[in-house]
Amino acid sequence: METNLFSRRDLLKTVSAGFGYTAFAGLSAMAAKGYENPLLPKKPHFAARAKRVIFACMRGGPSHVDTIDYKPALARDNGKTTETSRGRKLMESPWTFSQHGQSGLPISELLPHLSKHADKMCLVNGMYADVPSHPECFVQLHTGNFQFVRPSLGAWVLYGLGTENQNLPGFITLSPPARVGGAQNYGSAFLPAVYQGSKIGDLNQNLKDVKFDNLRNKRFTGDLQRKQIDLVQSMNTDLRKKHSDNEQLDGVIQSYELAFRMQSALPQIMKLNDESKSTLKDYGIGGKDTDSFGRQCLYARRMAEAGVRFIELGHASWDQHNGLRGRLQKNCANIDQPLAALLNDLDQRGMLDETLVIWGGEFGRTPHVKRDDGRDHNNSGFSFWMAGGGLKGGLRYGATDEHGIAAVDDRMHFHDLHATILHLMGLDHTQLTYRYAGRDFRLTDVHGDVAHKIIA
Amino acid sequence: MLLACTSVHGELSQAQINYFEKKVRPLLAKNCYQCHSERDQRLKGGLALDTKAGVLRGGDSGPAVVPKNVSKSLLVKAVQYRSDMKMPPKKKLKSADIATLVKWVKMGAPDPRDEVAEVTQVESTIDIEAGREFWAFQSPNAVAPNAKGTWARTDIDRHIFAKWNEKGLTPNPDTNRRSLIRRVYFDLIGLPPTPGQVASFEKDSSPDAFEKVVDQLLDSSRYGERWGRHWMDVARYAESNGMERNQLYPHAWRYRDYVIESFNADKPFDLFIKEQIAGDLMPAGNDARRDELTIATGFLAMGPKSLNERNKRQFEMDVVDEQIDLATRATMAITVSCARCHDHKFDPIPTADYYALAGIFKSTKTLFNHGTSAGVRQRSGLAALSSSANESKGVSYASAKTPTNKKSKKNKRNRAPKKPTGPVAMGVEEGSVNDCAIHIRGDVAKLGQRVARGIPQVMHHGDAPKFPEDQSGRLELAEWLVSRDNPLSARVFVNRTWHYLFGRGIVRTADNFGESGARPSNLALLDHLALQFMKDGWSVKKLIKSIVMSRTYQLSSAPNPANSEIDAENAFYWKASHRRLDAESLRDAILSVAGGLKLQPPVGSVVAPLGENQIDRNVKQLAAVKAEQPYRSVYLPVVRNNVQDMMATFDFAEPSMIVGRRSVTTVPSQALFLLNSKFMLENSGKLADEILSDSSLTTPERVGRAYRSILNRKPSSVETQRATEFVAACLKSGQEESDAWSGLCQAILGSAEFRYLD
Repeated sequence: METNLFSRRDLLKTVSAGFGYTAFAGLSAMAAKGYENPLLPKKPHFAARAKRVIFACMRGGPSHVDTIDYKPALARDNGKTTETSRGRKLMESPWTFSQHGQSGLPISELLPHLSKHADKMCLVNGMYADVPSHPECFVQLHTGNFQFVRPSLGAWVLYGLGTENQNLPGFITLSPPARVGGAQNYGSAFLPAVYQGSKIGDLNQNLKDVKFDNLRNKRFTGDLQRKQIDLVQSMNTDLRKKHSDNEQLDGVIQSYELAFRMQSALPQIMKLNDESKSTLKDYGIGGKDTDSFGRQCLYARRMAEAGVRFIELGHASWDQHNGLRGRLQKNCANIDQPLAALLNDLDQRGMLDETLVIWGGEFGRTPHVKRDDGRDHNNSGFSFWMAGGGLKGGLRYGATDEHGIAAVDDRMHFHDLHATILHLMGLDHTQLTYRYAGRDFRLTDVHGDVAHKIIA
Repeated sequence: MLLACTSVHGELSQAQINYFEKKVRPLLAKNCYQCHSERDQRLKGGLALDTKAGVLRGGDSGPAVVPKNVSKSLLVKAVQYRSDMKMPPKKKLKSADIATLVKWVKMGAPDPRDEVAEVTQVESTIDIEAGREFWAFQSPNAVAPNAKGTWARTDIDRHIFAKWNEKGLTPNPDTNRRSLIRRVYFDLIGLPPTPGQVASFEKDSSPDAFEKVVDQLLDSSRYGERWGRHWMDVARYAESNGMERNQLYPHAWRYRDYVIESFNADKPFDLFIKEQIAGDLMPAGNDARRDELTIATGFLAMGPKSLNERNKRQFEMDVVDEQIDLATRATMAITVSCARCHDHKFDPIPTADYYALAGIFKSTKTLFNHGTSAGVRQRSGLAALSSSANESKGVSYASAKTPTNKKSKKNKRNRAPKKPTGPVAMGVEEGSVNDCAIHIRGDVAKLGQRVARGIPQVMHHGDAPKFPEDQSGRLELAEWLVSRDNPLSARVFVNRTWHYLFGRGIVRTADNFGESGARPSNLALLDHLALQFMKDGWSVKKLIKSIVMSRTYQLSSAPNPANSEIDAENAFYWKASHRRLDAESLRDAILSVAGGLKLQPPVGSVVAPLGENQIDRNVKQLAAVKAEQPYRSVYLPVVRNNVQDMMATFDFAEPSMIVGRRSVTTVPSQALFLLNSKFMLENSGKLADEILSDSSLTTPERVGRAYRSILNRKPSSVETQRATEFVAACLKSGQEESDAWSGLCQAILGSAEFRYLD
């Protein structure tokens, strides 16, 4: 797979920006050829409801019955055992639920800020996955398959739609886990490498401490580096003239220009000094519990604004086999205010209806108790919430049984989630294929049903 | 097509069936299925009690029931609480229930839950005879090229020339000596020539000047490092599992060394393939040879695996699938594994053919770990080597300690297989030999009819090879793969070789010769190469030499618009492609130019002493495998999901996949690496120091030295002027002289010219 990074349009943009003095001798020849830059925005299969995705990924498996899947029967049957609870006692949620917004969505007191946006949220209560094991489910959530190495959701989206800002990566993952599949979760597998996600930071690392690889030159200032790049480009242009039939060289020339711009564009996105104090406060930046995830959320908005196609946020760990009362409360405190601020901010800027915001983890937790203060893995029933991007707000879609053990109505597997996300982005999951090793591959393989009922 | 069969329990009496249905089944369902159910994929200890096969096959500790033999039936022992294994674990069964099970075993364990009851007959609608018509399944055919005139030097040239005539193409001129020697150095050994080597070649006017260079390069140990790495791409070589449990493979490096040594020794390629698939079944005269053959089978063992899979059968079939994919695609470029769930959509390969191969690999035991790493459910043990294996190589990295996992001592489920005390390798050995049943839609719980072990029907014209009762059949498979009857293996390898030397295969899709792949642009040439390769005893060095000695290989890369009108993609090789260096060549060349490349290979690998830990969890170990080493890139650790940054940036082969053709991407992260990385700053600094060390040189002389060292050529006067101005500008802004010159060297190293082969 041979790829060039720039199209004619980009070249013209670049030139008008006035970078470089020698690099563009071959420009008219290049423009005439009509390069296909694999990252340029592409037409979707049909009208898209959402232009971009922000996926807040909660590693560890957040407890649905304590957050967004209200189960009154659980309180009623507190302490009882049932057939499906394998001899363990059901435990009512230590937190109370109340109804919010016009829609009256029941949301736990753990999420007071998000509750205010109930009418924007679609609670997907009928999620299920294949196995109660973190790595498998985490990888399947991201790639659709845990048996084989497959491209990630973000890579598929980028492959299908390209990206709107050629100065920034089109798929950025903030603070992803190194475990549970690591880079596979934002990898491109057999798709061309240009579609893989760019990682910024590591799980549980505050992004204010992140250092970027190769974005800063330790030897030269910007001015001298520009001279150095001009020298490189003079050689590249000479070579291009000699090899008038090698269009790849245009890609090389362009990649230097983009690299030069990225050196400032990427750190620029990560600087928050042009944000108002009240915005920082809204996101919880500076707050003890909220600073780290608040930054992720604010970066996500900035990246969304800049045209990044797929942004994933990372938070851990929601794996509360014990210490549920303390740790779940803390987790929710970490993410509640920042995510609420994100929804609000996107809404204020008129971006929410074209940005699909998704929250969830690799599975949920059992309603029965482990010892006296923990819940185990539950892949047979759990919840996601989604907002924006063409979805109905104030909706509770799908359901688990009365105790929250297994999904029973409008069940949604990861394949269905993927199909629905692609659908909202204007892509038909059965048509988004890539030929590899002699056959056409899909994110959803032979599965996936679009959940039409949640689409506005 | 699925045809349901009627269920027959001919041999069971109604009384036996009743006993099972009324007494035994409810008992098992109530007390055991919760943890031992194939249907629900709950297979603690690998045991399923909800099928007859599950009961008889048993779990990790052996068969649960031996009919009529109470004392050998682990199920009875467990429910009687007479062994370490006490089942059900929470509460002993009532004595009446235990008696029921004992009586059932004594009766011969009649079990009407026969899998036959649900066997469906899977039939295929593929027309094998028609499939044989496809070019790739026909044997290679010698065709004399229709080439007149004096242009051609070799048979290869004549085939190429004939195609040009047919298409109306004219050949490019021969390339100049400087570009030719750079080309052949990078192609054969993956390193640039030194300025001295270029000069002496340019001066040598003898008619065999080029041949001498070629012979010298093929004799060099650097050759095996270059060509071995090509094969490692195909063999998806890696030193960790990848996937969701990224356990290290601390012994994988032995396979790497085996591959490099095999290429250096010019081991016949047919033997090389045979060793990797069936080395353990081949005779060995001595310990060293036995070790070599054992290590060779690591080929089959190092694929990515779902090490945390609960269902043992699922795991087994996934490993088998990966091995089928590898064995068929690496050698024949046929995607047999597409037929796992249904007949192949494009190629004449019915599902039954897939399971005929599956039987071979399912009768094989794959040895990939000790299983000492926590959180890994699947464990296998490793292959023992002779005690001399480590010592004879000297030990630096390889003093591998395998840490024992404390948890595993306590926890029965986590107990590791018995660990050999001496040196070990990944590999395979014979397992329990059996044909494999078709898995309907690939589902391990839905079995169809059994299929005799064999090879894809479309691939043999006469009698199919016979597969033995008492062996897996890997040896027969391997022998058939590289027999003259196989229409593909020789073609596929000569095509891979051609691809590495020209940047494009005669069949462009080097890993797919099937219906959905590309057609050969010159079938006569492909067949000529394949037939000659076999005639030359599958000598890879002879093959390479015959190609690089052709006039075709030595063409210039200059553009020719008239030819481009006809063949813009250069599918007919009328010019040399302007090719980019791969990641290893780029890194090795920079190190080599800067004088920092250590050519002495390391012993073992950085990964070897780290044990079987899960690398993703260990920051220190990750830092160790990512740390820069002065060795050639082929010796850098290949840890899945954690390939070294420079390698990953410049399109290294994804080590979880079979890669015959790497991507060539052009992305800004590459430019950022060349502009700002520590690696570039350091190495350009070293080169600058060298250039500055001779204080008698003038600035233009220094510029000249930089160009000659990096690009093997003199700078033009314009280039000298630009470089001089750049250095002056740096000095004027207050930079040290060394920084100014480092900046210049870095610019030349970062130029496209350095990264492209002319």
